[in-house]
Amino acid sequence: MSSNSLPASLREAISEDLTPVKPLPAWWMRTIYALVVAAAGLAVIIALFELSLRPDMDQLPMWLTWGCTAVQLVVGVILIGMALREAVPGNRAPTGTASLAVATGVVMQVLVGIATRMHSPGVPLEKGTGFGIGIGCSAHDGALALPALVMTLWLVFRALPLRPSVAGLLGGAGAAVTADAVNHFICPMSDLRHVLVWHTGMILGLMLLGWVTGKVWEWKRFNQD
Amino acid sequence: MKPDRQAEERRLTELMIGYQKGNMDDFEGLYAALKQPLLRYLWTFVRNATVAEDLLQDTFLQIHRARQTYSPPRPVRPWIYAITRHVALMHLRSGRRRKESLADDQLPEVPVLPEMEKLADRATLHRLLAELPRHSQEVLMLHHLLGMSFQEVGQILGIAAGTAKVRSHRAMKALRKELEDHDGGEA
Repeated sequence: MSSNSLPASLREAISEDLTPVKPLPAWWMRTIYALVVAAAGLAVIIALFELSLRPDMDQLPMWLTWGCTAVQLVVGVILIGMALREAVPGNRAPTGTASLAVATGVVMQVLVGIATRMHSPGVPLEKGTGFGIGIGCSAHDGALALPALVMTLWLVFRALPLRPSVAGLLGGAGAAVTADAVNHFICPMSDLRHVLVWHTGMILGLMLLGWVTGKVWEWKRFNQD
Repeated sequence: MKPDRQAEERRLTELMIGYQKGNMDDFEGLYAALKQPLLRYLWTFVRNATVAEDLLQDTFLQIHRARQTYSPPRPVRPWIYAITRHVALMHLRSGRRRKESLADDQLPEVPVLPEMEKLADRATLHRLLAELPRHSQEVLMLHHLLGMSFQEVGQILGIAAGTAKVRSHRAMKALRKELEDHDGGEA
């Protein structure tokens, strides 16, 4: 059996780059960083697009507006926190827990859409306008999610995610659910075709974007090694 | 956690903190403390002592690149074993795996816990362990041979502590059955 002394090649590689490093802040602290950026980003995007509250706010019960938005925000924050936890070795979330959290985010958005439709028809979807309105709403959703997504993925890839695609997917889901919680106040449409295609679709699209970003990062890292 | 395990974990944490501050002696201490158990763990994946030695070097290079992701006072071992597992899985994925069989005397030495020693001699245990499916081997190795808690095993494998416990129980049952068959065969 060989001894426990360090091989010369490893000693050389390590000693060439033995600069002191500062440990990463805890995952919850990094989640707070991401949330601060997300909140600032949301405020800027709302001001930039001059977004206003949906006109039928008074027809919707409090639990559906502020209540569901608060719950969606909590789910979004949990997803971002899970992504940042996943980014550190030895901290990976059980697959079942991660799947449950992602599914909760998506299902909640659909249920809020259905409940909103039951309370208010919103602005009617006229023939031939669906695509244009949908693109506009998706642009809002994407812009609202972007700061949280970029910050979360940056924090994820600064660490060493061993399952980068899973971390990316969780980050994408978190950013998307957070953005949708806010857009729920803004989008005047209640038609379920619009909600499911453009809003649920955007959540799934951002999750896919996070997953693909993780895959690309993993591929680059794998080929570097 | 038993007192000696606590002391060992404290020592690893101190070494890791010193290493993060740029102390080469602490890195060497970490290497010396973890070399044998990591080799044994890597062997679970590759079944070849030479490849395991190569992967051990890759593991320590990855640990070096990721050293800022360790946050004291978290336990060091789940962090290191998760990186080790990743290096081994990446190796298997890369298609560079070699298929040489391994003689028993090539097995890296790791202490065997008394509860395992009661079952059979060390060589027989290692040989029968090698015949189990990899996920069973991994959980037995981490919990019974390397003495990690189910919480730590769960952190490394990305499963809940309860799931780790169930897997360990099933793997132990399978190992006992193999031992019975082995004893029956010898009788």
